[in-house]
Amino acid sequence: MTKITTENYVTEARKAIKNQVLQRALADLQNRFGRGTAECYRRLPEGPGLRLKAHEVRMQTVENLDVVLETLAANIRKNGGQVFFAEDGQAAVNYCLEVAQRHKVSRVVKGKSMVSEEIGLNDALIDSGIDVSETDLGEYIIQLAGETPSHIIAPAIHKTRDDVGSLFAEKLDIPYETDPPRLTWIARKALREKFLAADMGTSGCNIACAETGHITTVSNEGNIRMSTTLPRVHIAIMGMERVAARLEDHDMLLRLLCRGAAAQNMATYVSYIGGPRCAHQADGPQEFHLVVLDNGRSRILADEQFREMLCCIRCAACLNVCPVYAKIGGHSYGYAYSGPVGAVVTPLLVGINRAKDLCLGETLCGACQDICPVNINLPRMLLALRTKLAEGDTAWGVTPADRKEKLFFQAWSWMIRNRGLYDLAVKLAATGQKLLAPKDGMIRRLPPPIHGWTKARDIKPLAAQSFISRWKKGTK
Amino acid sequence: MSTANQQEFINRIKLALGKPFSASRQKADLFSREMSAETRAILERIKNRTADDRKKLLETLIEAAGPIHLTVRTCLDINAVTDAITEVVRNKDPEWGDKKRVVAWQHPLIESLNLPDALSEQGVPVFFSDVNAPGGETLRQRIIDSYIGITTADFCMADTATLVMRTRPGQARTISLVPAIHIAVVELNRIIADLKELYALLKWDPLESKEGVTNCMTFISGPSKTADIEATMVHGAHGPREVYIFAITAE
Repeated sequence: MTKITTENYVTEARKAIKNQVLQRALADLQNRFGRGTAECYRRLPEGPGLRLKAHEVRMQTVENLDVVLETLAANIRKNGGQVFFAEDGQAAVNYCLEVAQRHKVSRVVKGKSMVSEEIGLNDALIDSGIDVSETDLGEYIIQLAGETPSHIIAPAIHKTRDDVGSLFAEKLDIPYETDPPRLTWIARKALREKFLAADMGTSGCNIACAETGHITTVSNEGNIRMSTTLPRVHIAIMGMERVAARLEDHDMLLRLLCRGAAAQNMATYVSYIGGPRCAHQADGPQEFHLVVLDNGRSRILADEQFREMLCCIRCAACLNVCPVYAKIGGHSYGYAYSGPVGAVVTPLLVGINRAKDLCLGETLCGACQDICPVNINLPRMLLALRTKLAEGDTAWGVTPADRKEKLFFQAWSWMIRNRGLYDLAVKLAATGQKLLAPKDGMIRRLPPPIHGWTKARDIKPLAAQSFISRWKKGTK
Repeated sequence: MSTANQQEFINRIKLALGKPFSASRQKADLFSREMSAETRAILERIKNRTADDRKKLLETLIEAAGPIHLTVRTCLDINAVTDAITEVVRNKDPEWGDKKRVVAWQHPLIESLNLPDALSEQGVPVFFSDVNAPGGETLRQRIIDSYIGITTADFCMADTATLVMRTRPGQARTISLVPAIHIAVVELNRIIADLKELYALLKWDPLESKEGVTNCMTFISGPSKTADIEATMVHGAHGPREVYIFAITAE
């Protein structure tokens, strides 16, 4: 299974903030994509309102997911494809291993897929002695470096050309170079060999279409087309929610996906795959398998507060505008999904307590919802997660994250309902704060147990006189 | 594979949605059974498109092709296309190895270009992805050894400069993927406006919907590209480094 390191959020975030290279790369990424995507929505023939329509369509599909998935599976089988429904990551991985064994697969090429990161497919294949190559250039770099992706669509943004140059020199045994076109060509050459020699290709699925019985994959590099066309066997893995009912729905979602992901009107390659090659066709895989994955999604589906999260099409637009992601980068989130989408979906998939810092770390500024191609209300769900952390929740198995905090607020709520007590407390605080030695009109450090507040910021001292007392005296 | 497994999976979804396991299979408006007025209008528009309309679409296509490094050339007739391809073959060098070879779809339009004759002058062999050609591996090797792949396209969407290709016998998918240069020869009547028009045709047009999406449909919008190293745009990541559309304007 894939490693989950959500507990290290705070320490990883600190490291990221100090990393100047990463800070520049993140700022640059947001400058390019964040604005470009908003502009793309404005230029849609239907206008940016298409996002709202798409939200409706997604919700309708999610609420009828049983029918939609049965239709998808039936249509793919009609085309000669095989469909496997996997309850969890382990079941999906086992199925892939079984297929690989049956076909005596020794080399796999992999198209970028977050869901296979989620279930740790690579490691499982490698452990069973199979050579697995990432083929997206960014993912290939990350794999050579032995790291994990830091952005859903730009996995290697934390690497400089010098990093890549030394990495290639070391791992591919070539002279050191730093020119991106040359480095790209070197990877092109190395991966071409991998594509041509591979027995099996794996991919994700951006948006399937149930009524026609196809998955669609979207890429700019062409690596997914290579991975799904050249090897004998193709396995696609999709989160169970990544499906549109009709072509008409697929139309708007595909257009919004390209805009959200990379501010493009259309990605370079979109492939519709519905089954293996037919008789007399010259190429394409001889077997096509689709793995539909639950892995905790039905639990999200069952909770009406979070059902909306299943509308997500994993375009990563929210990463490109999030002020928190801009500073802490993708690795801090400790799982396949980073940024605002990760802050909601990761706690729901791996445990709310375990990943609590992810939802506590966001600002609730709402930029993620504004840029979301399907207008998902992420801030609302971040708040809902925080409520669960404050109050505890049996259905999700959440224990209150901080009992002291709850006690404090109970005391506060009792106090502010007792006028005399409140006035007394304010008076005491106004006198007591002199001991804290405000500097430049700000208090630098509060005493325990409320010192946490000033760990990363200053606080303004209370005014010498309260508003009420000034009002009573008639001073202006 | 076990359908019991599937039933369990679907039942879990039904449970999550609060539906009884025996819930009726279909919600009325989930899958459209009848053509909408909007779709009808789209199909009407495509049917009544004049030569002038198509030329306007071609202009849109050329405009959209610029920013994505896709080269569109208009050719008066078949002969002009043959000349244009001959020129590309003369001017471009192979990326892998040093022998120039060309591979092409077995398709009436491509065969009418008479490429084997035209390129024999330069000593460049042309292979076709012949349905009856012996052995899949031979063809695969020929495609790998070729530096230019020539195809046509089922449709070409003007607003995104996208080639749409469905898979058929004789029309190998890898010809537009593995060679370093991809040339698509497109007749003017194959140009449509956008994705909406394409989907309307594939789903509702009596002729096109019969074939439908097929088991593999591919969109190609320009050459392969990546910006994964310091966000520097580089063309030719894995797929073709150059893509040409030769549009035939003759009626």
